[in-house]
Amino acid sequence: MTAPLVETRNLKKYFKTSRGLLHAVEDVNLQILPGKTLGVVGESGCGKSTLGRTILRLQEATDGEILYNGENIRKYRGKDMRKIHLNMQMVFQDPYSSLDPRMSVHDLIAEPVAVCGLMRNKVEIKEHVHEIMEMCGLPANHSNLYPHELDGGLRQRVGLARAMAVSPKFIVCDEPVSALDVSIQAQILNLLMDLQEQRGLCYMFITHDLCVVKHISNEIMVMYMGQTIEYAPTAELFAHPAHPYTKALLAAVPTIDLSKRNQEHFTLKGEVTSPINPAPGCRFAPRCPYACDKCKEPCQLHEIAPGHLVSCKLFEK
Amino acid sequence: MEKEKDYLLQISDLTVQYNTDDAVVHSVNNFNLNLVRGEARGLVGETGAGKTTTALSILRLLPAKVGEIVKGSINYNGEDLLTLPEAEMLPLRGKKISMIFQDPMTSLNPTHTVGAQIHEVLDLHFPEMSRAEKDKRVDEMMTLVGIPPERKDSYPHEFSGGMKQRIVIAMALVAEPELLLADEPTTALDVTIQAQILELMKQLKEKFNTSVLLITHDLGVVAQFCDSVSVVYAGQVVEFGPVEEVFKRKENHPYTAGLFNCIPDLNDQQPRLHPIPGRMANPRVLHEGCCFADRCEYACDRCRKEKPAMHVSGEHGIMCHRYEDKEVF
Repeated sequence: MTAPLVETRNLKKYFKTSRGLLHAVEDVNLQILPGKTLGVVGESGCGKSTLGRTILRLQEATDGEILYNGENIRKYRGKDMRKIHLNMQMVFQDPYSSLDPRMSVHDLIAEPVAVCGLMRNKVEIKEHVHEIMEMCGLPANHSNLYPHELDGGLRQRVGLARAMAVSPKFIVCDEPVSALDVSIQAQILNLLMDLQEQRGLCYMFITHDLCVVKHISNEIMVMYMGQTIEYAPTAELFAHPAHPYTKALLAAVPTIDLSKRNQEHFTLKGEVTSPINPAPGCRFAPRCPYACDKCKEPCQLHEIAPGHLVSCKLFEK
Repeated sequence: MEKEKDYLLQISDLTVQYNTDDAVVHSVNNFNLNLVRGEARGLVGETGAGKTTTALSILRLLPAKVGEIVKGSINYNGEDLLTLPEAEMLPLRGKKISMIFQDPMTSLNPTHTVGAQIHEVLDLHFPEMSRAEKDKRVDEMMTLVGIPPERKDSYPHEFSGGMKQRIVIAMALVAEPELLLADEPTTALDVTIQAQILELMKQLKEKFNTSVLLITHDLGVVAQFCDSVSVVYAGQVVEFGPVEEVFKRKENHPYTAGLFNCIPDLNDQQPRLHPIPGRMANPRVLHEGCCFADRCEYACDRCRKEKPAMHVSGEHGIMCHRYEDKEVF
């Protein structure tokens, strides 16, 4: 078996707020193999973006381990961490606010190269930027344009080019297509998959869109209020969703399939409660139709099929 | 067959442009739409297709001086809204025709309680109603949208996105309008909340027999909520028809087919998506021929020169030369 490229062990991220500790990420264990994609799904506020940022150490974890190539990078400082960042990059959600409006496309893509000190020669950098632009499907004559002159799809390509500029092995894609129109979304998804195939990239793909995550991921992790509630290979998860929340999430997706039109939908009641000082039991229990007294006790992930983990009392023996 | 229908709204040849400092943006071009009373129509298209502009034109809320209705008519209950004096538009807005805006975070006034904001609609349109009666209506409406009336003294910032959108829906429906223009009402919301809001809109639509024009970019939402659909590209309706016909995916306008091919399907795993080649038509340039010709795989010389007519079979219309000779599709 190949060793995972990225792994977390009991990763925790808490934020101090005036009302108490906000448990944004709670004991997350994940493994991503080289060349594979882990999809992270959940609703807004479930901690999926925080998880991505914590893994890249854009913010410090509260506890737990982050392993890259088997090494715990949580204690890395300065130069060591910069070296790791050459391998781990991020693509942000909003291509409108994640690019500096005063930098041209060329400068935007050259910036990470210069910051990491990969190249110093201007001509060399220019050539490199051109290569990256071509790879990301950006026309060469766009290099002197500014972000406001580009549409959403092209901007997101620039965002991706910035990440690709330092030839990383692992990219956290934080909702990279949710701000885009469907036809542009399809182009970007195809590009991401092509790059993965050519370069053996490894993605952590954060999204709330189940159709997208199904399309691009090998494995999927479903998060609810900072916790992993289900973790399974993509086909298995969609064929046999186990956790009541996953089932509700799948039922809520409006599909173009007309046969589901007049079916009685199972709509989830209520809304996500606050993850500040949460009770020890299942965090989904207040909205769960199957909740019982047992749900007040802490719940662990159980393997119910090969590679399929669920955190729910229904599956505990 | 056309004349027996009870049309609530008929938009014909609507053309709207924005006159900006450096260019004229042709946002809506010869837009046609017929809406039967009680019908839920989806208006689908990508960003910049002119969907919101159309909705704003119906309410005559286009930005003053910049937005200009060049030609066309919007017939509502037999009256042309575009020739109506402003004084007669006022009682229509919010009472007969109301609108839900896309972003619930910004469409509520942060300095007023939510109760007061629902109340305001009644103050404006039902001056004869007593205060006690209005209070009762506000309470009823809040209960109907699933928010306990005790929360009417809360401010918008105390509510989550889904709850704010419920308040916006309550405001839009409290006057029991005949026509509801919903502009991407669930786009800013999570899927489980989206499902709740759509379910709520469905129930309220039945209860008040409201006609709905639902603007969205999500074909899934249309399939689950609407009776019929109009697909908009470059400010024109390129295809319309009952949802059952259009979503059969047998006979479609190439653009509609392209949209379907872009969406990853939950039930079926395809290795690669098929994006529509090229980019959205530039709204600053008027097209001589078919507006979609530049991106269409079937485009020929004729498409680039001659505007296709809307070819209608039953209730399904496709604006494409390829359907010219087909009687039934």
